[in-house]
Amino acid sequence: MMISKGIKGITMTENDISIIHPRPSSIVAALYTLRDLNVDVAILHGPPGCSFKHARLLEEDGIHVVTTALDENGFVFGGRDELSSLLQKANEMFKPKLVGVVGTCASMIIGEELHEPVMDANLEVPVIEVEVHAGYPNNTKGVLMALESACEVGVIDEQELRRQRSLLEEATNVEMSHGAASREYLAPSRGDVKYKVAEKVYNLLKEGKSCLTIMNAKKETGYMFADITIAINEVAAELGMQGNVINMANIDACVGLPRVRQHATNISNDIRKKNVTIHEIIGGMDEYPIAGDKVTKLIDEKYKEFDFAVISGVPHAIPMDHLGNMQVISVTNGPRQVLPLKEMGHEHVIVEIDLHPKTLGVDSIVESEFGATLREVAKDMMKNKRKVV
Amino acid sequence: MPQRRIAIYGKGGIGKSSTASNVAAACADEGYKVMIIGCDPKSDSSITLLGGRRIPTILDLLRQKVDIDEQAIVHEGYKGVKCVEVGGPEPGIGCAGRGIIVAIQKLRQMCKTIDDMDLIIYDVPGDIVCGGFVAPIRKGLVSEAYILTSGEYMPLYAANNICRGLVKIDTQLSGIICNSRIVTREEEIVRKFSEEIGSKLMAFIPKEQIVQDCERDGFSVVEKAADSSVADIYRELAIAIMSNEDSVMPSALKDERLRELTR
Repeated sequence: MMISKGIKGITMTENDISIIHPRPSSIVAALYTLRDLNVDVAILHGPPGCSFKHARLLEEDGIHVVTTALDENGFVFGGRDELSSLLQKANEMFKPKLVGVVGTCASMIIGEELHEPVMDANLEVPVIEVEVHAGYPNNTKGVLMALESACEVGVIDEQELRRQRSLLEEATNVEMSHGAASREYLAPSRGDVKYKVAEKVYNLLKEGKSCLTIMNAKKETGYMFADITIAINEVAAELGMQGNVINMANIDACVGLPRVRQHATNISNDIRKKNVTIHEIIGGMDEYPIAGDKVTKLIDEKYKEFDFAVISGVPHAIPMDHLGNMQVISVTNGPRQVLPLKEMGHEHVIVEIDLHPKTLGVDSIVESEFGATLREVAKDMMKNKRKVV
Repeated sequence: MPQRRIAIYGKGGIGKSSTASNVAAACADEGYKVMIIGCDPKSDSSITLLGGRRIPTILDLLRQKVDIDEQAIVHEGYKGVKCVEVGGPEPGIGCAGRGIIVAIQKLRQMCKTIDDMDLIIYDVPGDIVCGGFVAPIRKGLVSEAYILTSGEYMPLYAANNICRGLVKIDTQLSGIICNSRIVTREEEIVRKFSEEIGSKLMAFIPKEQIVQDCERDGFSVVEKAADSSVADIYRELAIAIMSNEDSVMPSALKDERLRELTR
């Protein structure tokens, strides 16, 4: 980073790139964080269309999302009364135990305060106020603001806040070095054809190559990424090669917010039911930004000689340090992630399109496209083999 | 001694910045640690404490996208008074109200010395045209409000409206300051107004050329003409502010009564 000292006390940073593809929204990030904190209702204070798509998805995930629906008049006259009466209405309708209120660009620009209407509404349950807009370059800001406010009202403690803060910093670093924040513009891509890659994985397993599966998933996305680990193990078992597969996954159920721990428990149970062993737990489901170090260390100690690795979830958080000698296949749900992953040296990159919506509102593993493709490819290949015999 | 955090309101052009900087200078003379925060996009609140020098505003620096620390935004003026200017966008562009919100957030984040101050004066724009302009109060930064007015009808009308606004934002009024425009029965009118809204007249500042002369040279009258009688009045006002215990929720007058008062 180029740093030049300008005016006394001012540090100029010159490497800031201006990213021109749309970025994840801090408002939405705050909403998802409120969900992880188990609020029953999240109130968006702003225009009715703000965060529409995610609000809908979050309803699928079991929380109520409502809006003060500020209109042109609301922008001009403010919406203090609208917010306090909506708080009361939501309280009557949903009988929540915990409520979140989230700002939007419009309400924050006109200087709306969330605290006063919350006081006016005078609910008996705690209200987490997040004065956020979508103008922050890193959406982790929205997460952090929600967590800080949650800490203020006693929903989480200082220790968890500190833990989350350092995870978020790492998450931002990961995005800036190898993620969607790594360059000015990244075109979305569908990645490599799943059928071709599935064929390759099948053949590698059949040839008796040793395989490392690394699931490094962000929270609920693990419900689908875990299916890839399972599919590989199923195919390996059918080929009599299960002993060649070592599985790593970030499904430690002892860390993170309650909801995130529950995901880890659910996923662990499902994996066990499929007779798949996770040999190495590489962290909790919110520790995807820091699991890379652990993976690197484990590979260095035990798995250096492996032939290939299939990394799913947030593959760009796993350093290539000791993966250099392996063929790396990665599975992401970010269409803008394909190019950076290829540049890291991944031979194949697969995109699970629209993964996230399919992992909301579920409490057990859901089938992935790549997992399904691999299973079908294996079925066909084995059928053909029998025909030949 | 608890920290005093005051804002001076009043019709535009009535002399808020002059009063703020003279009070700041007088308090510094008394040995108090003082900070003045100019919240007007014109950013001229502290200029007479800095010998006529302009300092970079918080928003100037934010616009340049540089990392800001305390040194860059807090500048020492007369007798160590800490001067901060919020600044703003060019007139007619962007959103000055949002500017104040962002700048105040930045200031709170960056400025560690703010907690050590005995007196913090927020010099706010005359017209609270939108949500951003009440940010200092809304964010719990201001604990006492003063209103500056003359005995003329329009400034009193504005002062009366400000009283309504203060009630709305739940902020107490600590007193009225009269900045004379040489109107008939001026002191009597403003005193009466102060009493009828439930407050009190803190000071009557006569209109004197020397205040203007000092400002033209880039100084407060307290600094440049310390022996003048008007400097004495500012010093008395400063002492009155620092020992004031009489904050009230004002009750604004009906328009007819206000008109009657000024006739």
